Amino acid sequence: MESTVPSLTAFQLTLQTGTRTLVDSLDLTLESGEVLGILGANGAGKSTLLAVLAGLAAPTQGQVTLDGHALSALPPLTRAQHIGLLPQGDEGVFFGSVVNFVALGRYPFDDTQGKPVGHAPDDVAMQLLTWELTELAQRAFDTLSGGERQRARLAQLAVQQARIALLDEPLTHLDPAHQARLLAWARSEADAGRTVAMTLHDPNWAAGHCDRLLFLHGDGRWQLGVPADLLTPNALEALYGPGTAALWQQIGWGQTV
Amino acid sequence: MAGALPDDRELALQILTQLRGPRVAAAFACGGLLALAGALMQTLFRNPLAEPYLLGVSGGAGLLALLGMAAGLAWPWISALAFAGSLLALSLAAALGGRLLARDHTPLLLAGVMLAAGFGALIALVLSVTPAERLPGMLFFLMGDLAWTAQPALLWVALLLATAAALALAGRLDVLQLAPLKAASLGVAVAPTRWMLFILAGACTSLVVAQAGSIGFVGLMVPHALRKLGYSGHRALLPACALAGGSLLVLADALARTIIAPRELPVGVLTALLGVPLMLWLLRRP
Repeated sequence: MESTVPSLTAFQLTLQTGTRTLVDSLDLTLESGEVLGILGANGAGKSTLLAVLAGLAAPTQGQVTLDGHALSALPPLTRAQHIGLLPQGDEGVFFGSVVNFVALGRYPFDDTQGKPVGHAPDDVAMQLLTWELTELAQRAFDTLSGGERQRARLAQLAVQQARIALLDEPLTHLDPAHQARLLAWARSEADAGRTVAMTLHDPNWAAGHCDRLLFLHGDGRWQLGVPADLLTPNALEALYGPGTAALWQQIGWGQTV
Repeated sequence: MAGALPDDRELALQILTQLRGPRVAAAFACGGLLALAGALMQTLFRNPLAEPYLLGVSGGAGLLALLGMAAGLAWPWISALAFAGSLLALSLAAALGGRLLARDHTPLLLAGVMLAAGFGALIALVLSVTPAERLPGMLFFLMGDLAWTAQPALLWVALLLATAAALALAGRLDVLQLAPLKAASLGVAVAPTRWMLFILAGACTSLVVAQAGSIGFVGLMVPHALRKLGYSGHRALLPACALAGGSLLVLADALARTIIAPRELPVGVLTALLGVPLMLWLLRRP
């Protein structure tokens, strides 16, 4: 929100695990105001790419910059004031209540080492309301259902108000009502000039609600473009394997796009 | 007691200032350090079953202390050996399992649990070949016993320093309860903070083990119980652990001294006897 210039940029990014190349020489700039969808089969490197874009893992080659500064050189708290990450679900124990959990998203700003960057004190309450957690606020986090936990994780990310939000399969466990909530949130973030990038497995969602798509083929190849260009039956079968396009054809997205 | 008789007042005062007073002070500091170490270990491993001896500290300390006793060494040497043994156990656990601590604490946990099992077997071996008359002293050390504790001032300094150090990390520790990748994304340096926890908890535990043997249960139960009671943020939890752990051990030690007086029980027996019903009652609460 402080800046509307192109912010997070990956240059010639190569990601490898062992001897396998997942992503080869990726050039990607996350534009302000866009929702980017990242699609690919299991193990294609989507989560790894998000971790690298978040500055939490080093790429095999290439580099990621934030406003022209190498991400790896930024102090962790500074980085956390600009980039937020929603990792995939984690079954660890959290001892506190839901409101304690959500409020941790403000750590990059509350900590004495960081400068307060204008958080209203009711940010947490507002996000609890947005994600329909207000009534659960005092419940022990560990007593929540899977979908409620996912909403709490999303609220925790939302209170961070990062200008770049990276979400790893945010639709997990969400019912349609809360998928719509997520969609509205992502769109409002983008409208406020921020960037949302998310991995997902649902081409319908990608077709309707993402501005750009990144396909990761898991063998180094990648494709970047708008949904209308990328979401064809042939392209999806190339991405996910033979026969997969049948999963979506009956709904008729092929005709409407 | 004897203090009621005028003639014995001086004696009573001496007992209070030279025996009971220091022992109560040492008991409080030991209990506080153990509960603090337990809370730090639970946060380090993101597991409510973690406790100060999880990584083999008591095994390492016990083995070297018992070898010293078998060789007929006097207490200060036993204490030094116990301290060395606990540091040995922690170093081995760190060397064998500490590589990936930024992402995954499981290798450290596994290395520590394996070491504890190995030390346990060696302790059993030492016990089984030791002449019977030396066994009671060894068992008291293994169960934990405050009768030997000679340096309450040292323990108190350690308790105050450790509490202050842990409090300085409190905000980071709250975040460290989240998945490592999430904690890192919020700006916490996960691996360095985890190593600080490891060292701080290890130092607290080693110090207590060297002074009073392996007093069980305080470090597992006190932080867990306080968390159940709603002390979830570390800023409140850590000082509460120091206070509650200290109080529990003072109470347990008073009972250990008096229940079958003039004989004493190992204080570890009492901490468990007091703690188990309390913990079971807490777990039944909604």
